[in-house]
Amino acid sequence: MKDVLRGIRVLDFCWVGAGALVTKLLAEHGADVIKVESHARPDNLRVAPPYRPGAEGLEGSGYFASRNNDKRSLALDLRQQKSREIAKQLAAQVDVVANNFRPGVMERWGLDYASVAEVNPSVVYLSMPMQGSDGPHRNFIGFGATIAALAGLVELSGLPDRPPVGTGTHYPDHVPSPGHALVALLATLRQRAATGRGRWIDVSQLESAANMIGPALVAAANGEPVPTRTGNRHPQHCPSGVFRCTGDESWIAVAARTDAEWTALVDVLQTDELRDPRYETFELRKQHEDDVERIVGGHAAQRGCRELAEALQAAGVPAYPVLSSKDVLDDEQLRARGFWRTLEHPVIGFMTAPSTPFVNNSERTGPVAAAPLLGEHTSDVAHELLGLDDAQVETLTEEGVFW
Amino acid sequence: MMAELIAPTHDAAGAPLAGLVVVELAGELTGYAGRLLHDLGADVTLVGEVDGSAESRFLHHGKGRAADPHGLLETADVVLYTGGADGSEPPAVGPQTIAVAFTAFGTTGPAADWVSTDLIRLAAGGLLWLGGYPDAGPVAPYGNQSARAVSTYGVVALLLALMERDHSGAGCTLEISAQEVMTQALETALPDFELTGKVRTRLGPEPPEAGSGIYPCRDGWVSMVAGRLGTTEAWRRLREWLVEAGEPGANDLWEAPWETLEHRQLPESRAHFAEIFRSFASSRTKGELYDEAQRRSIALAPVNAPLDVVADPQLVARSFLVEAEGTLVPAPPYRMSAPAPVDAVETAAVEVAP
Repeated sequence: MKDVLRGIRVLDFCWVGAGALVTKLLAEHGADVIKVESHARPDNLRVAPPYRPGAEGLEGSGYFASRNNDKRSLALDLRQQKSREIAKQLAAQVDVVANNFRPGVMERWGLDYASVAEVNPSVVYLSMPMQGSDGPHRNFIGFGATIAALAGLVELSGLPDRPPVGTGTHYPDHVPSPGHALVALLATLRQRAATGRGRWIDVSQLESAANMIGPALVAAANGEPVPTRTGNRHPQHCPSGVFRCTGDESWIAVAARTDAEWTALVDVLQTDELRDPRYETFELRKQHEDDVERIVGGHAAQRGCRELAEALQAAGVPAYPVLSSKDVLDDEQLRARGFWRTLEHPVIGFMTAPSTPFVNNSERTGPVAAAPLLGEHTSDVAHELLGLDDAQVETLTEEGVFW
Repeated sequence: MMAELIAPTHDAAGAPLAGLVVVELAGELTGYAGRLLHDLGADVTLVGEVDGSAESRFLHHGKGRAADPHGLLETADVVLYTGGADGSEPPAVGPQTIAVAFTAFGTTGPAADWVSTDLIRLAAGGLLWLGGYPDAGPVAPYGNQSARAVSTYGVVALLLALMERDHSGAGCTLEISAQEVMTQALETALPDFELTGKVRTRLGPEPPEAGSGIYPCRDGWVSMVAGRLGTTEAWRRLREWLVEAGEPGANDLWEAPWETLEHRQLPESRAHFAEIFRSFASSRTKGELYDEAQRRSIALAPVNAPLDVVADPQLVARSFLVEAEGTLVPAPPYRMSAPAPVDAVETAAVEVAP
């Protein structure tokens, strides 16, 4: 499927996290994604760490590079009227216009859906404001972490006797928002291929995150008991927990969903302590869950996490070492599936990049080219889409339009 | 003229996936995929038993039901099923069918036959490592996130495959791995390690730097990002707010070192700011802090419980909860305009013709 979007051209105003991951996947499947940015107001990720020592600066951000591979970069300073006219000329020629600004920004530039559709009615237009384009909070600002809080995910994540802790990341930016946006966008692009008719898709990042805890909201909305924080525990599993193993910061996740898995767990741990009548049924184990966790934890602490996970899985018990970022890159399963690729960036050097997380008829898709330097493709885009010659490009560069 | 945006519904005119025939073999990993496809107009038939739980009502409202897949699989455009040790062998489907296997780890590799729960999949994908408290073990996020995520990206893969099938006419087999999807949630952890050697770990609710993190207030907690990711202006506005409120010690925050991220990340800086902000917030509710912070363009939000979410003024104003099969459920997270008028498209086509 690496070429399935070949011929689709995307004018990409997305920046920071959520939007960039949408257009990244489009680029990885053959779309020509033209990222519009400028030295006057670079993408915030271009000035966000991490940097390889010695590669600091606008072109060296590993964060930016991890979200913008396979795209082209057009440097266009949208503070200038002439730049906005150029953007409109480009918008008239593309298949998709995408942004994740607050409502009002694209309107100020004359690049809102209505304006673009006037010159390009078959455009598929994606906007991803934090809370949607209407409603009393449409102009509120936030990041993934605050969206997760607003949507209820943070409050429900953590230990019951400790403050809520969330995911430790800006999670909505990385999975829910780009995932939902891609679903709507690709479904619409397919429809457009059949009808020629474009439309506007408006993703609310808040509603996207809220759908990720949908069942809790169904309970709350219908006057039913609502869930609260339970750490790693699960109402239908016992144990369901994370246990320390031998070695520094070495943890294993273990769960048992059935009596058979429980029996297998006890056999692998080789402990008579858990063969007690107090743990005979699921209900009894739940009543004594603190003891179950204490005993399992005591035995896990004497085992290596990889060895124990393999032994448990061989017996049919759900388990996996809790992988750190370093471990993820070394994980045998991901390596055996050819998940990791290597890209060479002119400033950062070699970087590992994940493939897309699916396989089609044994074929993998994923990144091919490293993220662009700021404005790296300005001349190419000006020649191909605006019909400008070198002298005209140079003049517009001197005027600060291409900047 | 502003185009009208409406929430997609299964029966809406112009629903993008109208006419697509989908069979969903019930499973933990497939349910949300069927939900997304149904909401965009596909005819989804759920095969298998469902209960009346909040989870089932959320995932399955509106779908068709069948007790067994007999006679459905051969003619379906799409079959969703669970692969791997917790699932089944690929079902026999028609030559035009796209069969999508939703798996924990994929159907190849040394862990292909391993069993899982959400906790296990989050451990394997690396997100579990990043959650929790520094003085306790890793803690997973709520809500079977790996199942939701693999469902969502399974639909992404499916839609790409459908576009390919629209040209070739041939079906295919797709598989999606929850472990692989979850690696996308690691934020900067992978480049952090690769470029600097630093293994990022769980920080707990304590702020990673002054101005960003989870802080207690009068009736709960708030989450704030002020000072990083291009929000230096917000850091200034936050300090102005604290000074205007007469918060003791707030003037300290205007001393030169506080302008740098490095200083704000020092443990003593984080502790000092937290003390000031906690004092300030202790007399204010999360709702009051949310309104005033947003008025000042500071990215602060309440840490909402589910009951707060369903009462949120924005979500209420946008009718986020809708009635379906006698229960209130969240609407899809996107709105769409009607497809552009045919005459506008035809006019434009004539105008650009050579």
